[in-house]
Amino acid sequence: MNLAHALPPPPASVRADGAPARASASEALAFLAELSQALAVSLDLRRTVTESLHRVVDFMQVEAAAFFLLDDRGDADRLDADAVPAARLLECKLCIGPIDLTGTRLAIGHGAAGRAVAGDATHLIATAAEETSIWHAADGFVARSLICAPLRTAAGPIGALEIVNRRDGVPLSALDAELLDAISVPIALAISNARQAQALLEQQRMRREFDLARRLQKSLLPRRRRDAFPIVGLNRPAHEISGDFYDYFELADGRIGFVIGDISGKGLDAALLMVRAASLLRWAGKDGIAPAAWLARANDELCETTQDGRFVCAVVGYCDRAARRVRFAGAGFPPVLLHRAGVFADYPSEGPPLGILRGVAFGEHDVELDGGTLYAFSDGATDVRDGSGKPIGSAGVRALIARHATGSAEARLRKLFSELRHLRLVDDTTVLTIEAPRADAPEVLLERRLRAAPEELREIRAALRGTLDALGLEAGLRDRLVLAVDEACTNIIRHAYGASCSGDIGLRVLRDGALLSFELTDAAPCVDPSRIKPQPLGDCRSGGLGVALIDQVVDEWRIEPMREGRGNRLILRKRIETIDETNEP
Amino acid sequence: MNFPLNTVAKEDREGYVLVRLSGEVDLSWSAEVRRAVLDALAIGRPVGVDLSAVSYIDSSGIAALVEGFQNARTHSGRFVLVAVSDAVRAVLELARLDRVFVLVASADAVVA
Repeated sequence: MNLAHALPPPPASVRADGAPARASASEALAFLAELSQALAVSLDLRRTVTESLHRVVDFMQVEAAAFFLLDDRGDADRLDADAVPAARLLECKLCIGPIDLTGTRLAIGHGAAGRAVAGDATHLIATAAEETSIWHAADGFVARSLICAPLRTAAGPIGALEIVNRRDGVPLSALDAELLDAISVPIALAISNARQAQALLEQQRMRREFDLARRLQKSLLPRRRRDAFPIVGLNRPAHEISGDFYDYFELADGRIGFVIGDISGKGLDAALLMVRAASLLRWAGKDGIAPAAWLARANDELCETTQDGRFVCAVVGYCDRAARRVRFAGAGFPPVLLHRAGVFADYPSEGPPLGILRGVAFGEHDVELDGGTLYAFSDGATDVRDGSGKPIGSAGVRALIARHATGSAEARLRKLFSELRHLRLVDDTTVLTIEAPRADAPEVLLERRLRAAPEELREIRAALRGTLDALGLEAGLRDRLVLAVDEACTNIIRHAYGASCSGDIGLRVLRDGALLSFELTDAAPCVDPSRIKPQPLGDCRSGGLGVALIDQVVDEWRIEPMREGRGNRLILRKRIETIDETNEP
Repeated sequence: MNFPLNTVAKEDREGYVLVRLSGEVDLSWSAEVRRAVLDALAIGRPVGVDLSAVSYIDSSGIAALVEGFQNARTHSGRFVLVAVSDAVRAVLELARLDRVFVLVASADAVVA
């Protein structure tokens, strides 16, 4: 609206009869500017709104004013497209004048405030009798005229501002209505801003808490064993926090106990129950009692305390150190798979999930592994979606296991998860394998043979980037390692083979735990390692930089002449941070 | 596998010569890069090498730039690297050469 136009002109601030005059346009603008500024810089919204309401009462020379807000079942509703706005109520949060309406509630569409919000328009009620419902008191105070302006935001009205009765007895006018309409704008904006800031703070707090919960959960998972150990587990939460868990521990008699579990539902309460269930199941199995009794004990305990229909699916059991035999029991968990010589066998759970019914009995399985591997996986693995959005199911998991049947258990699990991730993970996913420990051979991540020619380098770099990306290496480190290997190849091409002879370069990338090795073999005349010297860095000469760069990037490198006076093996080593974001081995 | 082409282009600009490189500079064509840089310097005007589209550079590529830098210095000429990509900058830093070369954000700054 055009406020200057709408308001009567100056001058008189006091009328002849002594009653205060209407505010002039410039006074109104000054008031609005001041109010807006006070609201904009305020950190304490409640105080500012109170002050603002007092200022409005003083400035507009009225007997009473009230400030209404729509009740705040709000935020959840606002996300819900089906929310019925009519069900919400306006509540008077603040009131100035002879009557205290604080706490009074109005349905939308009722009373002046309710109508202002319903119609998203300022209402002027110039003569009294129409509107006395909330503004009347025993001592005879009545509303002779009143104005109510909605507090407008981009998302619709959030409340209303109401003023009652001019002190000079003159009925409130359309001009007063326009002024109140203008005053309501910065107030609505300030409230809306404050709410957004509050929501943001809340989000940040939630994120911090989720992060804490995630770290707590991770700390509950057992540390990866570097020694020859028969059990390997891997857990990948679909979101920040997981409802899945696994555990293993050694008993005094040499047996190894293990647990894998899945909490029904998702979110923070599932995660909290996971923390409880994980410690409970560990506690219940520490005595080395039979797996069925172990589950029964945990079940009775969980039934005492678990509410809201949540339950826990789990498999618990023991194996010997050499993993010749595994004895286990399941509670509502997907069937445990034995994969041996290309053939699968199923061992379904012989009992219901934990935490539902006290006193139930659980059945056990006793399996001779005989060189096979036992796979226990949460239903997150079978729920993974394939390209067409369908769960891959038990058949899909079997196909994945069969496809990744060679290499160490860890390497297999990592490949399996990497493939699961390329499909769509919809739920927390956990897999545990049990098998006779094998002598740890380093895992071959990449094996290539290339002609010792500059044109081959580009493709080798691309292949290396792919391999290092699959490890989840940070891009800067990945690029430096690619550079180091490229420099090594360049040196072999230029100096080992040189212009006079040609041949191949064999490249292998190996991983042994956190140690990455890049092995480059050639068939060139043996190189004298003592003659390879890096140039000092920062030195502005155009030769010898390659070796200096390799020195910079890797932890160590060495060159070994091969036996028959021909051929060299160059090995670059780099220790990487364990890529352990979610307990990846 | 399909890679974007490696290209080197020389542009005569007002008061300077701009050599534009793109792709991955390695042993397979760093000799060509070296030639282009030295040819541009031979004109006797300031030279800028635009590296914004270079996604990889190895020591042989760096060597070509170092040679250009030295050549310019010998003849009191100006030789600057223009709009250095992150990939190139990382290698320059690794080689401690990021403070040796003159790096400028855009070709406008080739003529100081």
